[in-house]
Amino acid sequence: MLRRLGLVGAALVPLGLIAALAPATALAADVAPQTAAAVDTGKITVGPGQAALIALGYYLSNSPWLFGLAYFTLFRPLVAGFFVGLILGDPAQGTLVGAAINVPYLGFISAGGSYPSDVPFAGWVGTTIALAGGLDPASAVAVAIPLGLLGILIFYGRMAVDSIFAHWADHFAEKGDIGLVGLMNVLPSQIFLFLISFTPVFLLALNGPAYISDWLDQTPLWFSNGLVIAGGILPALGIALTMRFIFRGSAIPYFFLGFILFTFTGGSMSLVVIAAIGLALAYLHLAFTGAGEPMAAPAASAVPAAKAGKKPAAEPKVRLSRGDLLRSWATWTFFSHANYNYERLQGTGFAHAMTPIIRKLYTTPEEIRAALKRHLVFFNTEPNFGNVIHGTVIAMEEQRANGAAIDDDAINSVKSGLMGPLAGIGDSLSQSTIAPILLALGIGIAGSNASINIASGTGGIQDVPTLGSAAGNPLGAIVYIGLVSVLIVSIGYVAWMQGYLRGRSFVTDLLRSGAIDRVIVGAGVLGNLVLGALAAKFVMIYLAPTVDVAGAKLNIQASILDPIFPGALVLGTVMLVWWLLKKVNPLLILAGILAVSLVGAYPFFGPEKPRGNEAQDFYEACTSTLLHPWYPCGEPPPPEAP
Amino acid sequence: MSLQLVRIDDRLIHGQVVAVWLRTLSAKRIVIADDATARDEFLREVLTLAAPHGVPVEVLEVVEAAVRLIELAAVPEPVMVLVRSPRTVLRLRRAGVPIPVVDLGGLGAGPGRKRLHKTISVSPAELEELRELERLGTRVEIQIVADDRPIPLRALDQGS
Repeated sequence: MLRRLGLVGAALVPLGLIAALAPATALAADVAPQTAAAVDTGKITVGPGQAALIALGYYLSNSPWLFGLAYFTLFRPLVAGFFVGLILGDPAQGTLVGAAINVPYLGFISAGGSYPSDVPFAGWVGTTIALAGGLDPASAVAVAIPLGLLGILIFYGRMAVDSIFAHWADHFAEKGDIGLVGLMNVLPSQIFLFLISFTPVFLLALNGPAYISDWLDQTPLWFSNGLVIAGGILPALGIALTMRFIFRGSAIPYFFLGFILFTFTGGSMSLVVIAAIGLALAYLHLAFTGAGEPMAAPAASAVPAAKAGKKPAAEPKVRLSRGDLLRSWATWTFFSHANYNYERLQGTGFAHAMTPIIRKLYTTPEEIRAALKRHLVFFNTEPNFGNVIHGTVIAMEEQRANGAAIDDDAINSVKSGLMGPLAGIGDSLSQSTIAPILLALGIGIAGSNASINIASGTGGIQDVPTLGSAAGNPLGAIVYIGLVSVLIVSIGYVAWMQGYLRGRSFVTDLLRSGAIDRVIVGAGVLGNLVLGALAAKFVMIYLAPTVDVAGAKLNIQASILDPIFPGALVLGTVMLVWWLLKKVNPLLILAGILAVSLVGAYPFFGPEKPRGNEAQDFYEACTSTLLHPWYPCGEPPPPEAP
Repeated sequence: MSLQLVRIDDRLIHGQVVAVWLRTLSAKRIVIADDATARDEFLREVLTLAAPHGVPVEVLEVVEAAVRLIELAAVPEPVMVLVRSPRTVLRLRRAGVPIPVVDLGGLGAGPGRKRLHKTISVSPAELEELRELERLGTRVEIQIVADDRPIPLRALDQGS
């Protein structure tokens, strides 16, 4: 896998990008001449301070310092794009580019240490290169995706090396040092992560844009048009990956409804309005289909073990306060993935979260040592909904400290028995429902000011630059950050406290009530509607071939397909990619899209012309044989004004 | 031939299984073969409820599971089989369940366990059981999620 990724990455990432990893000092001279050209090409020079901020942002997006929310915020290109835009002085354009880069990653999910792509690398570096190099959003997507594959190396390095620090934690557990076990979960891994994250991104941000844009300027015109075409088709991959999670069962029609709503209003219906319609439809859907009805409780429902253990201690020796619970919850929420590694995944994070509890409950060195070691073993669950486990375990530890007969086996079996199923439910909820749907909404808002889809444009020369300079709406990123943060933190808090108060019965009560099913089914309705609209908004594919009808050359797509069903080709492309995903690896589809785009952009029948001014370039783009980068294409340029 | 995926995973049902594998395989049924889990009423219920809506979960002791799986292997409905350890697969195989290939999807690290690949570690006894499975004609592959390319055990196990 690693080798294959390396090959694809190496094949796709322009050589200049790799060369940019050379020492910054040697390249400073190269950056300077770019400044002169910046005036007329829209290019920006990235200063060392700005590059450092961008590199810091990338590090933070994998770090624990944002209350466990980095994975749901800075990690996502929509949010990264907004911040890169702020740093480089154009938050609107940054959000727009970030939104475009995010679409292919809508269906991204990392479960159990798997990591298909380094999404934040694509987001932070991709947006920087696009903004500084003056790329349009579609080319930015084509440049960012290979970056995401390259960045996986950072994740692999971290997962392998962090296993070492788990053994350091073992060492201090043996000595019964509570504080140092906690520190081992955070300090070494974060120093290491900072070094391997900050360095490459800093150098790339400082030098990459100049290299990439120089390199693109030297490629033939059909090649850069091919990148624009690829950037228009790649979103279909992200949408199809998301469809794997929500395009199912009775929710399927809503995807087509969303697509049609957006297409038939000529792209004028706001995604927020579509989401509001989606909420209403979700309510109706649940009311009429009766999905998620409470299940009948089994006749002899088991008495939860946590409760059974509660009776013996009449006068508890030690009681946990609300403050202890909150400290433990906050420690987990911050640091669950600080030392994520292949050997134990969240093992040291769990032990770290238990440190406030152990400190309060146990006094003898033997008890402390045993408790630390008990919780340093392999552990992995979804870190928000899965908090039921932590709450339950804390209640068990409290009873044990008060003399109840709860042995290590009882505690281990709760952890190892529940971590899987709760991760299954939690991931379905947070990673594959809440995140993609809210992202889709945020992306929709981010693009709302922009005429990315210029199908409705007039096709004049002046429309070409608008593809690159159409301002996005930073509100898309801000609304997304707000909504996702509130939802994720609430789920984590409620699960933790209910786990403590009600133990295992909370799990069965909640699951039996059907509430989770209702949320997932309802969100599926809303999600499909928004996803359908997003497909219509972001996927772009324009056929070049024409047919002669009564002496006039008619474009097959514009004059024949679209009048029957607007967007039929886009919908067909998305469905094709969705179907292909059942058979083929996403990386192959990615390579296939790039190949189709480049071949499609090649002018088999037209003369290959050198680059000219913008007006000429616009016309030359239309000499491609199969696919056009924009629409309408093919009108000869108007005579130049004298 | 419809035992599409027989997966060894010490966490049984979890995120990779629910969010990635089930969707990819479009499996309509999950069978969990594990003695301890089948005897724990609470875990049985949680596992049943943790699977997505409309995917029935059967949690069976290994002996019962063997009978059920022979039956299910003969019908075209795709089934996903989850077990906690290589030993269970060996028991199923010896009981006559047709298992052409077994997927090593998750086995956590611990004292005395050797890491084979990423999140996969094995004890010496488990490694021997896996080799025995290969001798019996069951291919052993490591594939953590559906989008990974399967790695044959032989590529990682120099000792065999």
